[in-house]
Parts: sequence; C-alpha cells; structure tokens
Amino acid sequence: MKCVIGGAHLRVFGRAIHAIARISDEFWFDPLEKGLALRSVNSSRSAYAYVFFSSMFFQHYCWTALPQPRQKEKQLSPPCKVIIKSVLPVFRCVNVLERNVEKCSIYTNINDHHITFQLLCKHGVVKTYNLTFQECDPLQAVFAKHMCPNVLKVHSRLLADIVIHFPTSQEEVTLSVTPMKVCFKSYTEEDTDFSKTMLTEVQLNPDEFDYFQVGVDSEVTFCLKELRGLLAFSEATSVPVSIHFDISGKPVAFSIEDLVLEASFILATLSDIEKETTSQQPPSFTPWQESLETHTEKAGNASMDKDSSTQANASKKPQRNGKTPSAEPAKPASPLVKQERKVIPGATEGDTTGVEGTTTAHAALAGESHYEKFHSLFFGAVSCKEDAVSHTFHSLATASDSEEDFGNVPSSPVV
Amino acid sequence: MRFRAKIVDLACLNHFSRVINTIAKLAKTCTLRLTVSKLYFILSDKVANGGVGMWCELNQGNFFDEFQMEGVDAEHNEIYLELMPENLSRALKTAQNANAVKMKLTNKHCPCLRVAVELPSLSSSSRIVTHDIPVGVIPRRLWNDFREPSVPDFDVSIYLPVLKTMKSVVDRMKNLSNSIMIEANLSGEMNLKIETDLVCVTTHFKDLGNPSWALEDGCQSSQDRDPESMAEARIDIRKLQQLLAGQQVNPTKALCNIVSKRVVHFILLHEDVSLQYFIPALT
Repeated sequence: MKCVIGGAHLRVFGRAIHAIARISDEFWFDPLEKGLALRSVNSSRSAYAYVFFSSMFFQHYCWTALPQPRQKEKQLSPPCKVIIKSVLPVFRCVNVLERNVEKCSIYTNINDHHITFQLLCKHGVVKTYNLTFQECDPLQAVFAKHMCPNVLKVHSRLLADIVIHFPTSQEEVTLSVTPMKVCFKSYTEEDTDFSKTMLTEVQLNPDEFDYFQVGVDSEVTFCLKELRGLLAFSEATSVPVSIHFDISGKPVAFSIEDLVLEASFILATLSDIEKETTSQQPPSFTPWQESLETHTEKAGNASMDKDSSTQANASKKPQRNGKTPSAEPAKPASPLVKQERKVIPGATEGDTTGVEGTTTAHAALAGESHYEKFHSLFFGAVSCKEDAVSHTFHSLATASDSEEDFGNVPSSPVV
Repeated sequence: MRFRAKIVDLACLNHFSRVINTIAKLAKTCTLRLTVSKLYFILSDKVANGGVGMWCELNQGNFFDEFQMEGVDAEHNEIYLELMPENLSRALKTAQNANAVKMKLTNKHCPCLRVAVELPSLSSSSRIVTHDIPVGVIPRRLWNDFREPSVPDFDVSIYLPVLKTMKSVVDRMKNLSNSIMIEANLSGEMNLKIETDLVCVTTHFKDLGNPSWALEDGCQSSQDRDPESMAEARIDIRKLQQLLAGQQVNPTKALCNIVSKRVVHFILLHEDVSLQYFIPALT
C-alpha cells in the first residue's frame, strides 16, 4: 500500500491519529480498495474508533503492493497493527505540520513488516520514520446506527463548547434527552461523595441542534475522555457530528461523514443496573437490560437506595478524580439488593435477553478494571476479503444479546 | 440561611473571576464569609496552613447586580462557608461571555453553592450551565477563628517594587533556595536575598517609598528607628512566589510590613478589593 497525503489534509490526518490515540495504545492500519481505514479498540473493549479516508482524500492512493519480480499477481496489503506511540511523533504538532510539511507518504512493506512515513518538508528536508507492524486482523464493532431511536446532529463547535465546561479530569458524562430538552451532566452514582465533588450540568434547547430526533427519553453515560479526541478531529474537518444512541446500556455512536472521509467513535454506555451495584456480579444476577421506565421510577430507586447506601460505604469504589481506575474489584452487592432487582417485571421493553448470556458477559468482565461496568461491544473480525466499506452494520450485539430486537439475525446468544 | 446573588455586567464578572483566580492560587481551601455588604475570603493562620494567613475583602456592591443574604440569625446576620476556591474559579472560567451568572446557596445532597451561568446561544433560550460547588457551613461557635487579623506592630513598612519585576526575581531565586530573606528600611530600600552553600544572590531595590501609618491616637507614627536599619525576615520562598504569581492585575497600592524575624504582612489594594497576606518567618 502506498499513499500520499497533501499539505492541507495533513492536519486532518494528524488529528485523526491523535483522536485514535485517546482510545488505545495501538491501532490498525487497514488499507482497503476504496481507501484507508484506521481502527482502534480500547483495552476494556468499551470504545471503538474507526476513521476511513477514501482514496480521494489522498493525492495518490495505491492499495496493492507493487508486484515482486517472481510473483504474477499483485499482493494485497493486509491490515497492520501499529503502536500509536510510534506514530504520534510523526504527527506531533499538527498545526505546525501544516506549515512546514508539503506532503506525507505512507507505504507498507509486507515482506519485512515495515510501515514507513515520509514527510517531505520545506527547504528540502525529508523526515523518514520506519515503524514495524504486526499483521493482524482488526476488530470491527457492529452497531446498527440506523436502528437508534435518538439522533442528534450538531456542529462540532457546539459540542466542544459544551464539553469545555467539564474539567479535564471528568471521566464520565451523562447525556440526558427528552423531546423538550437536552442535558449533559457530570456522572454521579449512588455512592458519590457529593460533599467532595463539583457537579456540572449543561442544559440546551433542542433548537441548537441541526437535527434533533428523540424517539425515547434516555440517559446515557459514556466516557468523555474518549470523545474529546473525536471533537478535536471533527473541528479540523468542520463536518457536523451525528450522535446516535438508544437507552442506557446500549452504545452511543459519534460520527462524522463527508465526501472524502468518515469516522465513527462507538462508546459503550453504562447500563442502569450496574450504576448502582458493584462490578463483580454473581451468576444469579438479573438481566442486564432494564427498561428505562422501571429505573426512573423514583419510588423504585428510593427503596433500592436504602439498601445500596449501606453497601456504598462498605464497597471500595475507585474515586472519580481523574486517576486511573483501580483494578481492585469492589465488594459484592448485598443479597437483599439482588433480590429486589429480580422483581423487575419481565414485560419490560427489550428485556428479552437471555440471562445465561448475561452470566457469560459478567463472568468474563470480572476482575478487570472499573470500566468493566461498560458492556463490551460485539466485535467481529474483519477479513480483507469482506467489503468493509459498505456500512450496513450488522445489528448490535453483546455477548448476552439474543438479537431478537433486530429481526433478522438468529436468536442464539453469540459469544 | 439564604444567599442569592447575580452578576450581569461582563466587566464585573471578569473582575470577580480575576479575584477568585488569585484566591485560588493562594489557598486550596478557604473560608468565604458573607455579610450584607461584603464578601471575605479568609485563610486563618493555623499551623495546618503553614502559618500563612489571608484576608481578602470585597464590596459586594462593586460586583453584584443583585445580592441577598440572610445570615444564621438576626443577631448574627452572616454566613461562613468553607470551600475550594479552585472550584469557583473553574465555574467562572467558561462564563466569560455570559449573559448572567447567578449564585445561590442550596442543599440538595449536601450544602452547595450553585453557580448558574446563562450563556448566549443560537436558539431562542439561553444555554444554562450549572455548577454545584460543595461547601461546608461553618457553625457560629467557630466564627471566632476567622476574625480579621490586626496589623502587626511592624518594624518597617515599605511599598513593594513593581510586582512583575519582583515576581521574576523571586521565580529565579526559587530555583536556588527554599527560603528567601526580605529586608527593608525606612529609607525606601528593600533587598531580597538568598543564601546557599555555593552562592548568595541579593537583589536591591531603591526609592520604593515608605507609607506613613497613622497611629490610633491620631499621631503620625514617629519612628525612633534608624532609617538605614534593616528589618528582616526569612520566609518560605514558595509562599512568596505563590502570592506574586496569583496577581493578575497590578494593584493600586502594594506594600508590606515587616516584623523582624516574625512575620511579613503584605497588603495589596485594588479599587474594590483588598488583599492581606501574612507569611510567617521561618524559625
């Protein structure tokens, strides 16, 4: 694969790399027929970033490697996994980059597993960065954006103006929508120490959005840190940001799209149940997907609060003060709390997911960091034969999901 | 206990934000005292603070368009709150082009100072950003701890040099030593000295002028002191550096009173704000 990025687009490409860097330490460089895809997943599988640059973005784009003398066919470029830290220095000062660099060439050498970034700068200076990569099939999140009942579209400037009110140490933020208003607020949980935490809330009118569709009232909580990267990237492109989401527990997708590029950051959201209990959940726990109506009933909450508050002091939750989440699992919830949860009426919407599936999901999550509260997205491996550019995402799935909701997929739990 | 206040004027808002930023640089936690006519930011000179004391006084009328305060009871019509000024500073930081900023004492989960910022937006209604800053209500029995410190019986009182210059000198000295000696006399001379094993550095300031203080009985303070004789105190350089770094606007008047080997008392006066800062001498 070889491609050349012209001066003006360098800034955009650099910002994309920086945005991806916020997700994970490594990313996939995935050359496709129609363009170049960059993908990244974070360690707890709760955030996925995908940026696709079509061949028109580049001054020159060649997907296939040049044929070697002995080979008769052109070699396809396999996707490569690259360490972000190695690539970041290439695009370090993005703004300065634009001024000093005329163009950037990227080419992969499959035989010796090298990817080379060559910056042709002013005054004849050429900077070459040779990095190694691992050949590796990337993961791709499957997420049915078009199935989301709630869609907001807004210029990235607005989102940046909202996010700026939250301290950089604020890890999670809750987006709460009704047809009448939109609100971004600091995430709090039952045992938040209110006497020590400053809480911020930004209320907006639906008028401020370029497109506003709220099918279901919901409150989704996601990681702000991961979003900030996308915001910086979208500001460089000045393309509006679309937010697709559903009820809590289902992922939220932030995406931008224009003629030459598109990007999606899919973030897992906290499900309501896990907001109140600890992360290590015993197998007899109730289904993870609780309907919103049940949870927002104040009465229901109040009775749960009494019991969980006694536990709140006992359990050691990691502090939300910007430090890395501790890997220590918190103490299990009291049996009384568990029992109350089971009383949730089975007729709640979307609550048809298999309990057995939940067991697998939670058992798998046990022992990880506090981000395990976020459900992992379902990942499928992407082979290079697949036309991954077609964006008919498959339906959303987690390990516990039976995918009945989306109609056209078999109902056995997918692991 | 009730407190509500509103700032509508942008200039007042900026000015208030600057004051809060200065306080935030001087103290991690401090006491906010509210009276009918004034606000005070107080740090009492406890050992826990390293003996540093701060007293900052603002006339509420110069900042707020609306100000309603109902104290603890009729006899003691004041409110004392403990808070982290950094939180308030942060809340105001992004309010610089606000239509209005309202502050209110609330008690939802715990006592909070709720700062509601109305920002202009493209739509018909403003964007509202609310910050709930947790505060501690200080009970009346502890109010005595926060009385205004009296001006100490100083040996020398002298106007400070241009703060920017003083700051750049102290910034460089900070790299070499942990403590700094301030000495001054009644002839308008001040020296800043540091001394280490390897080097001594002294910066001399001249012609600073000495303020004249009227004694309580109305007489001019007639110093029997030799005008050339220096009063000195060795203080923690970081505390001095913090004070100087926090100044965002040049004060109308800046002076310090030195009690030899005991304490240095800084007084910085702006039009509507006065700040007093006490740094104890190192033993």
